[in-house]
Amino acid sequence: MQATTSAAQRLAAQDHALDDFRILDEPYYRPVANEVALFEAVYASRMPVMLKGPTGCGKTRFVEHMAWKLGRPLITVSCHEDMTASDLVGRYLLDADGTVWHDGPLTLAVRSGAICYLDEIVEARQDTTVVIHSLTDDRRILPLEKKNEVLKAHPDFQLVISYNPGYQSVLKDLKESTKQRFAAIGFSYPESAVEAEIVAAEAGVDQKTADTLVRIAQRSRNLKGHGLEEGASTRMLINAGLLVDKGIPIAEACAVALVLPITDDPDMRDAMQAAIAASI
Amino acid sequence: MPSGDDSHAPVPLRRYPSAFHDSAEHEAALAAFPAEFYPAWVKACRRLAGAGYGGTVADDYQRLSPQVAQVAGPQQALELASAASGLAIRAGRGPAALLIRASSSAAKRLRDNFSEWLALVDRTAIHAPESMSAILERTDLLLSHLDLNGLESWLRIGIRAANGDPQRRRRFFTLEDPEAQHWLQRESGVVGFLDFETRLKPYLTALWGLSVPLREVPPDAPEQVKRRPGFDGAVMRLPASFPGFSASDSESLYRAAVAHIGAHCTFTRAKFPVGGLKPAQIALVSLIEDARVEHLAMRALPGLRNLFVPFHVAQPSGPSTAPNLFARLSRALLDRAHDDPDGWVRKGRDAFFAAEAEWQDQRLSRRIGDLLGNDLGQMRIQFDQRSYIVQPAYRDDNLGLWDFGEDEQQTLNAEQVFESARLRQEEDDSRPPDREETEQRPDETAGRLTAVESAAGGVPVARYPEFDYVTGRDRPEWTTVKEYPVAIGRVQDIAHLREERSDIVNRLTTLIRAARVSRAERLRRQPEGEFLDMDACIDATIARRVGEVPRDRVYGRYERRSRDLSTLLLLDTSKSTAEFVRGSARTVLDIERQAAALLAYAMSELGDPFAVAAFASDQREDVRYLRIKDFGEEYDRTADARLAGLGSGLSTRLGAAIRHAGTDLSRQRSYRRLLLVVTDGEPSDVDVDDDRYLVEDARKAVFHLRRLGIDVYCVGLDTEARPPLDRIFGSRNAITISRLESLPELLPTLYLSLRK
Repeated sequence: MQATTSAAQRLAAQDHALDDFRILDEPYYRPVANEVALFEAVYASRMPVMLKGPTGCGKTRFVEHMAWKLGRPLITVSCHEDMTASDLVGRYLLDADGTVWHDGPLTLAVRSGAICYLDEIVEARQDTTVVIHSLTDDRRILPLEKKNEVLKAHPDFQLVISYNPGYQSVLKDLKESTKQRFAAIGFSYPESAVEAEIVAAEAGVDQKTADTLVRIAQRSRNLKGHGLEEGASTRMLINAGLLVDKGIPIAEACAVALVLPITDDPDMRDAMQAAIAASI
Repeated sequence: MPSGDDSHAPVPLRRYPSAFHDSAEHEAALAAFPAEFYPAWVKACRRLAGAGYGGTVADDYQRLSPQVAQVAGPQQALELASAASGLAIRAGRGPAALLIRASSSAAKRLRDNFSEWLALVDRTAIHAPESMSAILERTDLLLSHLDLNGLESWLRIGIRAANGDPQRRRRFFTLEDPEAQHWLQRESGVVGFLDFETRLKPYLTALWGLSVPLREVPPDAPEQVKRRPGFDGAVMRLPASFPGFSASDSESLYRAAVAHIGAHCTFTRAKFPVGGLKPAQIALVSLIEDARVEHLAMRALPGLRNLFVPFHVAQPSGPSTAPNLFARLSRALLDRAHDDPDGWVRKGRDAFFAAEAEWQDQRLSRRIGDLLGNDLGQMRIQFDQRSYIVQPAYRDDNLGLWDFGEDEQQTLNAEQVFESARLRQEEDDSRPPDREETEQRPDETAGRLTAVESAAGGVPVARYPEFDYVTGRDRPEWTTVKEYPVAIGRVQDIAHLREERSDIVNRLTTLIRAARVSRAERLRRQPEGEFLDMDACIDATIARRVGEVPRDRVYGRYERRSRDLSTLLLLDTSKSTAEFVRGSARTVLDIERQAAALLAYAMSELGDPFAVAAFASDQREDVRYLRIKDFGEEYDRTADARLAGLGSGLSTRLGAAIRHAGTDLSRQRSYRRLLLVVTDGEPSDVDVDDDRYLVEDARKAVFHLRRLGIDVYCVGLDTEARPPLDRIFGSRNAITISRLESLPELLPTLYLSLRK
């Protein structure tokens, strides 16, 4: 373990490393309720925050938007079940001279005051997620056990996680002790008019097409729990809209973007196609 | 065929005893049977006349066989005579006469295949001589629905379904048995409800967010009910088929029907009171209401227009009868572009579209309906309620729209609806009907046997000690567990319970899918494996550099670890479970039953070994233990039937039951064993005064099981008395639920989380 670089150099290098994580252009986000104000308030006290809601309703986009708005770099980690604590915190790697410590994404964010966004945190194993515990109470520290270092969080650091309370929640759930550290902002699919506005803006389709797409989405959301695990998300609507914008007829675009991806059951597919036909 | 050759004409007249009734008949015979067949025909006539079948057999043959010969050829017409003789021998004179009478229309339909039909009749007569009259009387009906293959399989189904019972065969072939109609439908190859059902359900849900069960109209329903869809708030009835429509039209019709009724459910907020309305007014108000909800539906879902409009085909012409005018009005109200010159239709249309702003208000239908009804009366147009059928075909009979008050003239009662559900379920097993029969029978007989046995009392199977907390000692062999056979209930009840909570079943299916595929685990620091374990490698390299001996376990691999868990679900069926759950028409036992059915479903889907048992006690010598499903058994209809047959009664000697269940579980060789107890009260029995005694004993029994490595978990059902479950099972292993209705949902999910 050699400290060949000075602290200042290291900081400068880190700032440089963070350049990739800075969001320069405003990501499109259409506020649905008062979530922007809520997030600003939460960030002001650096409270860890959990974004709850179904897939594709705009959680990730919201974080990007807020990072841009607050001028903080955003480090996103997509969690998966094989993720270990070292994948988050960092590990020693080898080079010609010996071992070199490499910060993991979480450590990088803690050190340099970025917003760290752990996407789909339930996918990670519970023993992995406990590493965030010391960061999410008033200590705001991250012990780097292997390096024998206790890292104090940068004043600008904030932790954001996303959490999709879906059907898997019995088998995959956050520990109670983890949950209780977070403030939560709930997301759901926006109401029709707003959603249509979003689809129109993102996909570049006209208002009427957007309205139709939203109407179709409601049909498929009706089927949630009745053969579909999840209805069509806003993201899928935008995909469908993009296809329409490229000149694909709307029924076909919906089949490609909204029906086939979410169901393999021929009866369900047929029913959804018919419901789409009824909505156009 | 060339016209008759007069040279042989006089011969039959002289020799044949029965004279031709008129010369036209004779002409026909001569025309139908050319020279080489004529003598044979005469012979056949004579043989029939001489056989003494009586009645009009010979006459009929003489009269009808030329018609047969006309369409099916003389050879087949001659075969008819011998077939009639054969049938007379097998089944009697009556059927023989009917065969001949049915022959001409059969020949018209079958033509070249006529003799195959004769052969089929002959074969059928061997198996069902008593039903031949019934079958032949219905020749026209049967052949209008079925081709020969269809007819043959329908006949076979009937013969097999009756299982050798002539009475049942007769019922089937006279179509009294609803099954017969049902199979007729299926064999006829008409595309019907069953072909679309699985698609219609999600369609309805997608359009309107409703999940109302869809049922086929029972085959024994009145004709009017059978031809149109209907709904009554709880179920949606759809016709078995829409005769006269092509397959693709049928599909659209069903879709339109479902969309239309869904629109009613969404936009007709309250039932219309019938009050003193006349039938014509009721029909008109319904018609306006149909149009109103369809317009509202099309506002929300514009594509429905393409579904509804093509079925409105009434032309703006024709007689001024009520059905015709009504159909035209329906079309004019739905299709703005359609122009109808009739003043009455126009008036209705104008009033309806003028009130477009009020479409949200269902009183509008009543107002316009009344208005038009009065006009109809002044125009002196008769309305015949009995023959009126709503047009077009996708619209429902509108009975669900009306509140008939006291003398509710529900055409279909709940039983009929249920009956159709039953038929459907049996059929869902998709086994041929004969299997069905043989399978059901043992159940029935078993049911009777068990009734006898349980009257005689159970079989003592084990004696268990009981713990006396006062002395701190076990009382050896204090209790006797007797195993009782379980009464058999109706399998359908359980299926019904499960269907009722289809939401849970759906969710469980998802959970199960996730749980069944056991997740691959990454094993680290292995001596061999498919990838390098990064951390181990780094450690090993560090170790080598600093001069230590590196560990060679630097690999990792993925492995699926299967979970291995046996579960026994133990249900309390003591007297208190007969109490009704607050604010519900269900007893505690009903809720337990439903929860057990769902849990059993989950466990059998997962393929985990499990057993279900129930207990109650009547003093220490008679602790009743009822096996609903054993570990070795398949979870099948028998288990369902036993679950349905559980009744409440007696007391709760929990300790003995736990010990006995523990004995069962301890024989299981799985890695983990779980006893899941569902109880609604504290342990008690009539021969014990001390409240604490049985609690302490049960606690001791749970300890005992723990020592055997069996996990015990308890779900307490909150009733007035707060059972000391924490004391018995330990606070981590017992939960008490206060909303009993949540048990069916909770139990399977609890199981899945315990199973992790």
